[in-house]
Amino acid sequence: MTDLPTPPTVSAAGLTLRYGSTAALDDVSLRLGAGVTGLLGPNGAGKTTLLRVLATAVPADRGAFTVLGHDPNTTAGRQNVRRALGYLPQTPGFHPDFTAFAFVDYVAILKEMTNRAARHREVRRVLDEVGLGDVRGKRIRRLSGGMRQRVALAAALVGGPGFLVLDEPTVGLDPEQRMRFRELIASAGEGRTVLLSTHQTEDVAMLCHRVIVMAGGVVRFEGTPAELTARADGRVWSSTERDPGARAGWRTGTGSFRNVGDPPEGATLVEPTLEDGYLLTLDASDAASASSSEVTA
Amino acid sequence: MRGVTAGAAGGRDDRHGRVARGHGSGRPTPGGAPPSQPAPGREPRPRPAPSMAGIIRALVLPVARTLPWLPLAAGGTVGLLLVGVPRLVSGETPDRIALLLLRGAGLAFGLGLAFLMDDPARHTTAGVPVRRAVRAGLRVALVAPVAVGWWTAALLLVPAEVRPPVGDMTLEAAATAVLALLAGAAAVRMRDEPEPGQAAAAALLLTGLAAPLLMPDRWTLFVQPHADRWDEVHRSWAWLLAGAALVWAACLLEPVRRRRFRAVFASRH
Repeated sequence: MTDLPTPPTVSAAGLTLRYGSTAALDDVSLRLGAGVTGLLGPNGAGKTTLLRVLATAVPADRGAFTVLGHDPNTTAGRQNVRRALGYLPQTPGFHPDFTAFAFVDYVAILKEMTNRAARHREVRRVLDEVGLGDVRGKRIRRLSGGMRQRVALAAALVGGPGFLVLDEPTVGLDPEQRMRFRELIASAGEGRTVLLSTHQTEDVAMLCHRVIVMAGGVVRFEGTPAELTARADGRVWSSTERDPGARAGWRTGTGSFRNVGDPPEGATLVEPTLEDGYLLTLDASDAASASSSEVTA
Repeated sequence: MRGVTAGAAGGRDDRHGRVARGHGSGRPTPGGAPPSQPAPGREPRPRPAPSMAGIIRALVLPVARTLPWLPLAAGGTVGLLLVGVPRLVSGETPDRIALLLLRGAGLAFGLGLAFLMDDPARHTTAGVPVRRAVRAGLRVALVAPVAVGWWTAALLLVPAEVRPPVGDMTLEAAATAVLALLAGAAAVRMRDEPEPGQAAAAALLLTGLAAPLLMPDRWTLFVQPHADRWDEVHRSWAWLLAGAALVWAACLLEPVRRRRFRAVFASRH
């Protein structure tokens, strides 16, 4: 655990949530400060559940957390958390007959913005910010998937929330749209706390000050992207053939194999990436789970 | 306990944590630099809490646009056809089927109402401060005048001489309507389903068709107006209406904690 450079804006302790016999979250504690924090993990790691708990969409079985000093374990506290919150869910839904403007305006009202003129100014501002100013009068059903995703981001941003929760916002976007989204998220992270769940290690490498890796409902790593990358120092090598001793290996575009794991003597080490560090972290947690199961058995 | 920390430089904030704005620009303070701070010696002015009446006024039009008007119109039309066609065809409504037609009409409109809890944007609006109960209540309030007008029309389509007791029939129709709402709200609450309308309508239709056939005579809710048990049965309808309304209202609440028994049950596995 490394210290935050600033006081935490979001603190959670012992968050646990089970669905039947499955622990979606198992005693998760974390602290977030301002800036973009990436949340990495495989499918089923508990990322979406954690984000839904922090977004007050679902309560945890156990544990507590605060957002900007507000405790959502009371009705009034939850209202205050929601007043500080922008949430983009994994599969955002819309009223398809609404225009982009009307939908974001509707969300702005739900965020208690009742002054019509000020609200409309704010809606125009966020639509401009996400690059939809020109199509704000277009019905959502006629917008592309990437544009709809930006409408959802505008809905999350409207009202200037201090805590932004984004659940895989770049899924299904083409590279250009993804680049555009990265710019938006980087901009959104200036001066507010952003928690970004993603499968894309490139997103984390390019955007995030901090990164959390989850697997099996448990936090496996926290630190900076550089620290995660450093986990793979000396553990990535290239070879002309696939190395059977590697934990993972694949043929690259140049024809050589890139291997990740414990290199053999004399291997040609190469510069690790964030993804290498991430894969090794998951691999270590799999090994830990397996040995734990053996002990239990 | 697994502990983590994450974060970087940045600043805040008004009372509720909204990012402070640069003066005059209307934009969040950029660059991770401290946002606009109050002048020394001055407390930041708390943002006045908006009144619920103001929020509801602002919500009326957009919420009206989100209502499932098509299923409601379809259910209403089928219901009116049910009670109106015999009269149009033969010029009269037979005494023996007037009650059945009105019950059928109530069920048809109920099937439309089962879609009232549909909200495709439910997940997108999961973290907003205006509560789900307020939005659902507003949806019902907007549809209520339509429902009252529709039911009045349905009653008037049945000739007065064969019309069953209006108050008791209205009680049955109201209970059916609330059961339809309850089916939708329960699906939302238990499965977090954004559009439960189809499943709720199917459940209501199945219940509406099976209940008269399968319920034992002593429990039946479907008796003829001249039956001795008419009043007693309508006391049961009243209880059903009240119970369904209570459970519906409970389904709209958003708990701040998961129910204890669920957590205990889960931890035993």
